[in-house]
Amino acid sequence: MSALFRGLRDGHGFDALLALLALVYLLTFSAFPLVYNIVMSFQEVDMFSMADLVRPFVGLANYKTLFASPDFWPILRNTALFVLLSIVFQLAIGFGLALFMQQDFPGATYLRGLFLAAWIMPALVVGAVWKWIFAGDFGVLNYFLQQLGLVGSKVFWLSDPAISLYSVTIANIWLGIPFNMILLSVGLAGIPKDMYEAAALDGANALQRFWHMTLPMMRSTLGAVISLGIIFTLQQFDLFASLTQGGPANASNVAQYWSWQLSFQTYDIASGSAVSCLMLGFVIVVAVIYVRSTRHEHRA
Amino acid sequence: MRNMKLLLAGALALAGSTVLASAEEVTLNVWTIDREEDPGYMYVMAKEFQKLHPEVKFNIKHVEFADWANDITRAVATGTAPDVAYVDNPNTPFLSSKGALLDISPYIKDSKVVDPSKIFPGPLSTVTWDGKIYGLPRGSNTIALYYNKDMFKAAGLDPDKPPQTWDELYETAKKLTDPSKNVYGLAFSANANEEGTFQFLPWIQSSGGNFDKVNGPGAVKALELWQKIIDEKLASPDTLIRGQYDSFATFNAQNAAMAISGPWELPRMSKDAKFDVGITLLPIPEAGAKRASALGEGNNVIFAKTKHPKEAYAYLEYMYSQMPRVWNEFGFVPSYPVEVKDPKWPAEYAVFVESMKYAAARGPSPDWAKISKAISTAIQQALTHQTDAQTALNTAQTTIEGIVNK
Repeated sequence: MSALFRGLRDGHGFDALLALLALVYLLTFSAFPLVYNIVMSFQEVDMFSMADLVRPFVGLANYKTLFASPDFWPILRNTALFVLLSIVFQLAIGFGLALFMQQDFPGATYLRGLFLAAWIMPALVVGAVWKWIFAGDFGVLNYFLQQLGLVGSKVFWLSDPAISLYSVTIANIWLGIPFNMILLSVGLAGIPKDMYEAAALDGANALQRFWHMTLPMMRSTLGAVISLGIIFTLQQFDLFASLTQGGPANASNVAQYWSWQLSFQTYDIASGSAVSCLMLGFVIVVAVIYVRSTRHEHRA
Repeated sequence: MRNMKLLLAGALALAGSTVLASAEEVTLNVWTIDREEDPGYMYVMAKEFQKLHPEVKFNIKHVEFADWANDITRAVATGTAPDVAYVDNPNTPFLSSKGALLDISPYIKDSKVVDPSKIFPGPLSTVTWDGKIYGLPRGSNTIALYYNKDMFKAAGLDPDKPPQTWDELYETAKKLTDPSKNVYGLAFSANANEEGTFQFLPWIQSSGGNFDKVNGPGAVKALELWQKIIDEKLASPDTLIRGQYDSFATFNAQNAAMAISGPWELPRMSKDAKFDVGITLLPIPEAGAKRASALGEGNNVIFAKTKHPKEAYAYLEYMYSQMPRVWNEFGFVPSYPVEVKDPKWPAEYAVFVESMKYAAARGPSPDWAKISKAISTAIQQALTHQTDAQTALNTAQTTIEGIVNK
C-alpha cells in the first residue's frame, strides 16, 4: 500500500492506477469470497439467506456435523489417496519424460509441444474422453486388455467401488503429467552441462550423476512442482463430475466434490463451506512449508 | 363429457378472458428450462397468449436445468425473482414453504378454467402446501417398462405378455440376458443422484411404503431384487453411475432387452430403435398389489413478489387450458384427464396415461433434496454390498425421520 501512495506522490499516476485496479480485483474476487466462505462456515445458512450478511452464528456446529458424518473419514482417506497417488505418479512420469526430452534428438521440441496439448484441454473434455476409455461394456480399455488376454471378464472401471477412485486418479495423473514435465524441463535446462561432463570425467556413472547432481540442483523446482501439484489436485473437480460423481456409494468421492454436493445438491451450504475451509487450512499449511523451505535455501 | 367441458373451458380462455381489462402495458419476466427452438413450450405459450392479450409483453429467459436451483434461490434472495417460472415438481414444496411463491388459491376460486379437483393426485400434491395452491402443473411424466418384442420372440417369450410382477421381471430379465451377444436383460438407473431415487421410489410405494417409510419389508425386498439383478449381471454394473438417458441408449442399441424409463425417450427411440417396441406398466410386487409410478415434469408458478399477479395468473391459466395439446406437441403426459386427438405413439400414450393415475409425487417435502440423497445413498450402499438392503434402508429411515420430524 505504501508503495502505491509513493507512486501517486511521485507522479507515476498510471502505474499506481494499474496497481490499484489489481488490488481491487483481488479484494473483490479472491479475498471477499474467501472471507465470506469462512464466515459462512460458522453460521446457519440456507438457500434463502445465502446472500445475507447477517445470519445466526452457530460456532463450530457445522464442523461438528461434518466430523460426525459417516462420510467424513472415507472421503478424507479418498482425498489423501487421490492427492498422494496423483503427485507421486505425475512427478515420477513427468520427471522421466523431462529427462528424456533433455536429450537432443530430432523432433524433441515438437514432441514437447505435443505433450502440452493434453494440458491445455479442459478437464471436462478429458473426462468425457476417459469415460469412453473406461466404459465397462464397450470401453476401449477393456477391449484392448481383452484382446491382449490380460483380463478375462470386463472390468467396470468406474462403477466397481473397489477401483473407481483409482480410475479417476489415472485420468488425473494423465492430465497432470505435461505440467510436471514442462516445469521440470525448465529446471533441468538451468543445470550447467559442463558440470555433468566434469563429473563424468571423474568417473561418476549416470545413476550417481542423477542422485548427487541432478536431484540436489532440482530441489527448489521439485518443491514448487509438488506444492503446486497438491494445490491443483485438491482443486480437481471436473473429472469427478464427469466420470463418477463421487460414486458408487462415495467410493470415489473426495473433499472438493463433497463440498459441492453438500452446497448445491442438498443445499447444506454451511457444511459445504466448512469442508472448503478445512481444505483451505490444509493448502495454507502446504504453502507455508513451501515458502519456508525456499527461504531457507536463499539464506544458505 | 367431462373432457368436453374442459375443452370448452379452454376454448373460452382462448377467446380472451375478461380478467385483463386494463390496456396498460405489462411485461412478464419468465424463467424456463425450455429452449426456444424445439419444442419451447413456454415460448410457444407466451406467443399465443400475447396474441390474445397484446398489452402483455414477455421477457423469457432460458435457464439450464442443472443451474436452476442455484439461480432461482439467488434471485429470490436478492429480490430479482421472475414473475412466472417453471419449477421441477419435487422443488415446488421447498419454495412454497419458504413463502417464495404466490398463493394462487384465491384466483383459482374465481376461475372458470381451473378445477383443482380434476388434477391427478400426484401433480396436485406437488403444488399444494398447507392447504393452499402455489402453481399449476404444466404436464407430467412417469416411468414404465419398455421392452424389445423381437428379443422376446427370439427367446421364445410371448411378446404380448410382458412381465407384470417383480418375480416375472427377474425371470424375464434372466432369460433375455446373453453375455455372448453383449445383451443385458434390463436397463435402468441406480445412480447416486435424483434419478436413482426417482426410479426406486415407485418400488417402495407399490409395496406400501413412501418417502418417509422406506424400510418396510416390501422396500427391502425391492432393493434386494435390484441387488440380485446387478450381482447376476442381468443389468450392467454401470447402472450405478448411469443416468436414465445413458441407460436407455443401451436399450435403443439393443444391448438391453428391457428398459425402465419415461415418455421423454419416445422421440429419440423412434429414430434410434430398429426393432419392435412394447410397453407396459411398471411391475408390482405381486399380482393384485398396489400400483405406483414415479412422477416427473414440473409446474408453472408465480413468484410472491410479482407486480402483475393478475396477468401472470392469466398466463398460467392459458397454459393450463392447453393441456390437450401437450402430449403431441411437447411430449408431456397431461396432468388432468383430457382427450388427446390422434395421439402420437398411441400404445405408449395409453400406458403412460394409465400410469399417471398411480404416479405418486416425490415428497412433498420442503427438504426433498436431503431425503432424496438419503434414499439414493441407501440404494448405492446395498448395490455395492457395503451393507445389506435392510441395514441400508434402516439408516436411510433414521436420516429421513431426523429431517421430517425436525
